[in-house]
Amino acid sequence: MEKVNRLAFDTPSFGKRIKGMLAVDFYRLFHTPLFYIFLAIAAIIPAMIVGTTGMEGSETAALFTNVWQAIAVESPLYIVKNIGQYANMNMVFIFGGIMVSIFIGHDYKSGYVKQLFTTHAKKQDYVISKTITCAFAMACMCGTYLVGTVLAGLLVGLSFAVNFGSLVCALLGKVIMSLGWASLYVFINIIFRKNFWISILASFFFGTGILIIGAAAILGNSAILNIFLYGSSVYACLSSNFLSVLVCLLCSGVWAVIYNVLGTYILNKSDVY
Amino acid sequence: MNAIEIKGLKKSFRGMHALNGLNMTVPVGAIYGFIGENGSGKSTTEKLICGHLVKDGGTIKLFGKDYTDAGIRVRVGALIENAGCFAGSSIYTNLKMQCLNLGIADIDAEISRVLKIVRMDAHRDLKFKKCSLGMKQRVGIAMALLGNPALLILDEPINGLDTDGMKMMREILTDIAKGGATVLISSHILGELEKIATHYGIIRQGKMVQELTAQEMEARARVFVSLRVNELQKACQLLKQKYANVRIEQDYVRVYDEQDVDGIVKYLLDHALVPSEIKKNKVGLEEYYIELMSQKENK
Repeated sequence: MEKVNRLAFDTPSFGKRIKGMLAVDFYRLFHTPLFYIFLAIAAIIPAMIVGTTGMEGSETAALFTNVWQAIAVESPLYIVKNIGQYANMNMVFIFGGIMVSIFIGHDYKSGYVKQLFTTHAKKQDYVISKTITCAFAMACMCGTYLVGTVLAGLLVGLSFAVNFGSLVCALLGKVIMSLGWASLYVFINIIFRKNFWISILASFFFGTGILIIGAAAILGNSAILNIFLYGSSVYACLSSNFLSVLVCLLCSGVWAVIYNVLGTYILNKSDVY
Repeated sequence: MNAIEIKGLKKSFRGMHALNGLNMTVPVGAIYGFIGENGSGKSTTEKLICGHLVKDGGTIKLFGKDYTDAGIRVRVGALIENAGCFAGSSIYTNLKMQCLNLGIADIDAEISRVLKIVRMDAHRDLKFKKCSLGMKQRVGIAMALLGNPALLILDEPINGLDTDGMKMMREILTDIAKGGATVLISSHILGELEKIATHYGIIRQGKMVQELTAQEMEARARVFVSLRVNELQKACQLLKQKYANVRIEQDYVRVYDEQDVDGIVKYLLDHALVPSEIKKNKVGLEEYYIELMSQKENK
């Protein structure tokens, strides 16, 4: 009788499968130091940027007159002429990439991924869950970055004058872009899942948006660059409006779908390890 | 219904054929001993069943359904190569994560249940990296047991264990099988496997050489009489005149497929050869396997 009972197989719904996968990913996120270390890093970065504005002859001293410039640029500027122009919330997406690489890398290093794929036949579950978890982590990093910026601004005494609506739109845009960036990094880590360090280097390389900066040098300050993650991230600037948020939402969402579909395809067509 | 039904399974790595049209049938409730030399394709087969590798051809059915069916796969537990645990986390945390993954409602009760089965209930807060090899293997089995799996796949679970560890693992596996789960277990330690397996599958160069039940194995097992005699060569030559299959092995003259001990001894005594030791034996799984492999090698 017991054996008959044991052979009842209930197919879990997509929702139940994702819930299970998300539960384990969020549990891991909150129970490993990695997440908190990166939250702290995200808070320290703006403190260092804003802190250096008080230093004579520093790059940022000339560029930063307002504390919110550490959050986003004044207007969409894809061509970086000065390294100081890099120094805003977009940096979260670079460090976020490293965090995603370590987070996913541990799945493979520990062999835990075997447990996941044994019980989850659908590789799509893994890709979606990792994207959502990592996007959440990066959005949290944006939060601590904001806190770090405000505290540092208060300490240094920079101006806080801003169009509040535009600031909210810029922040919202950056947070929304976390989803697109997370999906890119999950995809990169799926491609290089057998090579941990290549994953990290590739995440860093794409996170800097260097390809888009290169493209901007050729195309000029074109709005067409907003179709890319780095472009939209820059577009979420201090002159943002509702349209900027919409552009970020579209760009982030479309790329998330593309990278998730590609990531799932690769996992389905290739050996896990 | 069969727990596992594989037909024509193919897998190659960079042009090297790991599996070359493997057929395999594991009945429900069996403890299936999966035997083969290194590189024969045991682990590849197990990884394919678990969905870790992508097959090049053939079909895999679990409990009558395709192996990718989510309802089936949620009832599969596996220990492949290592436990798949996070080293810095405790045994409890690692098990909890898998419980969350499986959507188990009463997590504490489930963890207690599996830890009790693998005799690890006293060590639940121990960090995984602090566990001995035997403990790690048992934690791996506990992970695989979460969610009451209908099929358990264990890749070399007794490798590297000491005698006590092997005995404990044997008891654990017997307990698991009593619970009704089908167990697919690969191992090089055939003596241990022989004590628990109900079915055997012998794989060689990516193909199933033979599948048989423990009863069939028992029936096929050849008997032989071992005799220790001072003049081994002389005794061997003499016995060969009367018996068809006589060999010298490990300082004994062995007369295969013959049960008439009295007749053999009398024959030797009649020729002034006195045996100092006489044993009647049966060919075990290990000898059977070696013989089967050597037959294949000669072909």
